[in-house]
Parts: sequence; C-alpha cells; structure tokens
Amino acid sequence: MKAVCWMGKENMQVHNVPDPTILNPRDAIVRITSTCICGSDLHLYDGFVPTMEQGDIMGHEFMGEVVEVGPGIRHDKLKVGDRVVVPFTIACGNCQYCADQLWSCCDNSNPNAWIAEKMMGYSPSGLFGYTHMLGGYAGGQAQYARVPFADVGPLKIPDGIPDEKVVFLTDIFPTGYMGAENCNIRPGDTVAVWGCGPVGQFAIRSCFMLGAGRVIAIDRVPERLEMARAAGAETLNFDEVDVLEALREMTGNQGPDACMDAVGMEASGHGIVYAMDKAKQMMRTSMDRPIVLRQAIIACKKGGTVSVPGVYASFIDKVPIGAYVNKGLTMKTGQTHMMRYMAPLLERIQRCAIDPSFVISHVLSIDQAPQAYKTFRDKQDRCTKVVLKPWESAAAA
Amino acid sequence: MTPRNSQLSSPKSPQDLLGSKGILVGAAALMAYGITRRSKTSLALATAGGLLALNASRSGSNSQSAHTRATFLVNASPEKAYELWRDFSNLARFMRHVKSVEVLDETHSEWVVLGPMDHEIRWYAEITEDVKNERISWRSRPDSLVQTSGSVEFQPHRAGRGTFISATVRYTPGGKLSKTIATMLGKHPQFMVREDLRRFKALLEAGETPTTVGQSHGPRGVHGSVEQVLFRETGNLAAPQAAQAYSQTA
Repeated sequence: MKAVCWMGKENMQVHNVPDPTILNPRDAIVRITSTCICGSDLHLYDGFVPTMEQGDIMGHEFMGEVVEVGPGIRHDKLKVGDRVVVPFTIACGNCQYCADQLWSCCDNSNPNAWIAEKMMGYSPSGLFGYTHMLGGYAGGQAQYARVPFADVGPLKIPDGIPDEKVVFLTDIFPTGYMGAENCNIRPGDTVAVWGCGPVGQFAIRSCFMLGAGRVIAIDRVPERLEMARAAGAETLNFDEVDVLEALREMTGNQGPDACMDAVGMEASGHGIVYAMDKAKQMMRTSMDRPIVLRQAIIACKKGGTVSVPGVYASFIDKVPIGAYVNKGLTMKTGQTHMMRYMAPLLERIQRCAIDPSFVISHVLSIDQAPQAYKTFRDKQDRCTKVVLKPWESAAAA
Repeated sequence: MTPRNSQLSSPKSPQDLLGSKGILVGAAALMAYGITRRSKTSLALATAGGLLALNASRSGSNSQSAHTRATFLVNASPEKAYELWRDFSNLARFMRHVKSVEVLDETHSEWVVLGPMDHEIRWYAEITEDVKNERISWRSRPDSLVQTSGSVEFQPHRAGRGTFISATVRYTPGGKLSKTIATMLGKHPQFMVREDLRRFKALLEAGETPTTVGQSHGPRGVHGSVEQVLFRETGNLAAPQAAQAYSQTA
C-alpha cells in the first residue's frame, strides 16, 4: 500500500509498504477513504518532537471501511463492512482511566510507556502516527491502517453522510470542543482564543455552543481571521495590535473569563522574549516556545480559566507562575478524551447544527502529501486544512 | 513495602556491576549517536546519554533486590489477578524473555527462555509458596543450570480501587550459562520486572498486551534502525507468529 513516511526533518516521502496485518486479538484493519494532515503533524514535520523513527507512517486523522477484524472483537461491536471514523487516541476501555472517561490517559495502549514515564512521570495513551514515546503506532496517511482496541475507539457512521462532514471527528472537532469545555464557560462568558487554525475554528464554534457570549479570536493569517469572524467571533491580528492592551480595552480592564491556547509549542510572536525562545528551540535547549501560554496567563481574568488544547512536548521557561497563582487561575489541559465527544458531536452534525467541512481548503491525493505538508506549514495558498484521498491518483485530484 | 521473602534481599551481586557497565556503554552509544546525527533531536539524545551515564555511575552500588521489585495497581480483583498468574503457562504471554512455560504438575514447571541470538535456555521451577489470592513464590530446582527465584503478591486496594500487584524476580549467576543469562537479563533488572508487570496488567485488564512489532513502516535506514534499538522496540515481542494466526482466522 501507499503510505506517507517520516524520513527526517522536513522530509516526508510516499513509499510503497506492506499492507498492515492483525497483530492482537482486538485489532481491526481499516481501508482508508479520507485522511488529513493535522497541525500537530507539523511539529513532527519540523522535527521538534523527540522519539520519531525514520520510516514511521504518519497520520492520526483517518476514516474508512473495516476490512478485517481480530478474533477478540465481538461482532455486535464491529464487523467487516462497517464505515468508521477512528479517533487519534488509542484506549483499551478496561483500565481505571478508561472507566473514568479519561480515554487519552489509557494505561494499556502505549507499548513504549517507559519512554513517556521518563519524561512525564506516567504515560498517556498511545496515539496513531505519532512519536514512539506515545506508542509509535503506524498512522493513517496510508491506504490501510491497523486499529488496536478497535471495539473501543472507532465510531460507526451511517451511510449518506459524506466523509468531509465526519472526518474531523477523528481529532480536531472533539479537540476544539474539549478546549471549549475546559474553559468552564458560564452563559455570557467572554473567551479569548489564541490560534485560528482548524482546532481554533472548532473551538470558537464550540464556545458559542456552550453558551459563551463573546469570543475573541487571535491570529495573523487573514483568511483564518475571516473564518473566525464568520463564526461570530471578534478578531485581533497580533501583527497589528498589542493583544494584551486590546483585550484589556475590550473587556473593561477585567480580562477574558477564559483564555485558550490553541497554538502550542511553535507559537509566533514579537519582541525579545520571542527571539530568545526561538533561539533556545533552535539550539535544542528547549523544544517549546510558550509565547501564547504566557500571554494567556497574563491576559486572563482573576479567578479565570486557562485551557490548553495546543500541543507541548517538553519543558518551558519563564512561565508567569506568580500571575497564575496570585490571580487564582485554573488550567485545564490534556489530549482529547475522544470517546466522550465523538457520538454527541456526530449527533450535532446529523441534525445540521454544524457542518465541519467549512475548514477544508485542499483535497489532494496521497501522492501530493509531501508538498501539502510544506504548503500547510507555510500557510501558503490560503491553506487551512488538507484532506488526502489515498485511493485517487495525483492526476485525478 | 519491603520484600517479605528474605531470600530476595541479598547483598550486591556481580550483575550489578555488569548492569551499570552495560548502561554506561549504552549511554556512550546514545551520546555518540546523538552527537553524530545532524537531526534536531541530536542534542536531546546526547544529553539523555550524558544523564544516563551520570545516573549509572552514581547508582552502581545499590543493592540488587531493590531493583528487581515493581508494584502496579491493577483494575481487577485479587482473585482474577491470582488466577491469571497461577496458571504458569500464561507467564510467557507477559514476560518478555520467556518463550514458554510448561506446567508439569501442581507445583512443577519447565521454563524456556530466549537468550542472546534466540538461544534457548531451559530450567525446571517449583512453587515454594502458594497462598490463594495473596501470594505465589517460585524458584528453580537446585540442580538447574540457572538459579532463579521470584514471587508475586496481591493486595486489595483499601478503597476497593483494584489490586496492588508486587513482583520480585531474581537471577543468581552461577556457571557460564548463568552468566550469559545475567548479561541478558541482569542488564536492566528493574526495567525487566517493571515491563513484565506492566504487560501483566494490560493482559489482565485489556486481554492483550499492546505491541507494534510486525506493523508496516517505510524504509528505516541506519537511523531508523538505531532508533528502534534505542527505544527497545526490537525485542518488544508479542510473538509475530501469533499475529499470522490472527490474520488467518479473521
């Protein structure tokens, strides 16, 4: 089969690799019909997250048809022919964390838990197409994928709904939604969202779904700010205004009730601190650039909430912990507990409360993936979200 | 918690030294690899190597028994946990280096362990203590080539949140063959026991142990292969032959 392989920093290649096989009783094999490039894939593309291996198959946002199931899966749970979206986190469904609905903290899905334990104390769940610290599972930017614990994760999708409407249930829609849920929104609250990429877009819409009165979206890419305004958000371009001053003005010297960092480790900014962070990252003394996180803590209202759906990999410097403590803030984070959100959000899609396909800018064949990574990273060609069709040839796309 | 079995807490043994030396060699390799690689992860790897070396040189004098004990809280009853462990034929399903354990009678079993280069090493073990739902201890028979003993304890969580499982495994180098084993197993005794117990937890809770061995990937090249060794994925076996069987039955 064809698969997008990570061959090093800024080096994605499409290779012909063996088709996946069932390795454990609760595995299934999915023939992929749609798969996406995620913003968190760009951190791997840029080589900022440790424990990748040359030859790894990328991709954690994929859906398709079940073509094979292992002997450990009951047929009422999943069977050949089912059309499914596959969440990017892998969960066993049986451990204490899964029982507590903390699916992305599953204890039993990361075969390399010891690496994560060295860095984080305890290991989160395994992920598709990500680092070996998080399991090193082959991903879904391919024609087929092996799905472990397939009786827990995949959500069946009825026929009649196009891929484009449901494929983002694999990651970014639930991730944006959980980012909003983590804001502890009370009716009428003001939420500031840093980052208007795909997750930010879903976060903005989710904030309104959860009763926010006002969402202030912060970015610098014109088409992304435009998309945020279309959802009803007010926007700030951080190239044009001082974000902290603007938020102070807009909230009457109170600050937003909640601040969301939907950017993560590769944030952009201005000034001397940003330059220092960038230098540290290039020298590998730090993997993260926490510009947005710092701003969110400083900007947040007293007693407010900071929600962090953005990806961070390791350690950060110069976090304003004094502001965090003295203002009595709460921070909520985490990889998305996918299985909590997929079915309720599918229901919203089915009753046309939201059509997630608005975020798509490019639909390409898998052969065009290497170029698409660059386009998406550099935000060229008004690129907001790339969907790959693994079975179409480049000429047809 | 302290080991109940006094036999397990013996003074420092030869494979301690071997162990820390092994780590030092590994750390040096990590540093060399990290420094030569032009990728962005290089400095992190080299630093990790340096820290590892520092750690190994500092911890060289600790006693062996402390290193071979691990405890996991498992989301299951002591009865279920005891039942899975008491059938020794299950041990090969979660002990990394054990190829098979054949149960001969109520207390005796024959173990086959894969040594370096897939060389098979056999011994006979007997169960020395068996308290239902609480504790199992075993040791190799005195005439075995390999001297090994182990025990596992099951203690219910006070608030009913599962069972604490503590395992202790010990290998005593004797003859030449045992030294080979010590090299193989004693390199990271703590790592070995903890990972085995982690797999036991997965087997008990989820019915299988997570693995990526045998999955598809692109060309690994030199760097990909080195990384596989660094991340200890080459020996992360869940019997690829079983995988074949699953694919055929499905």
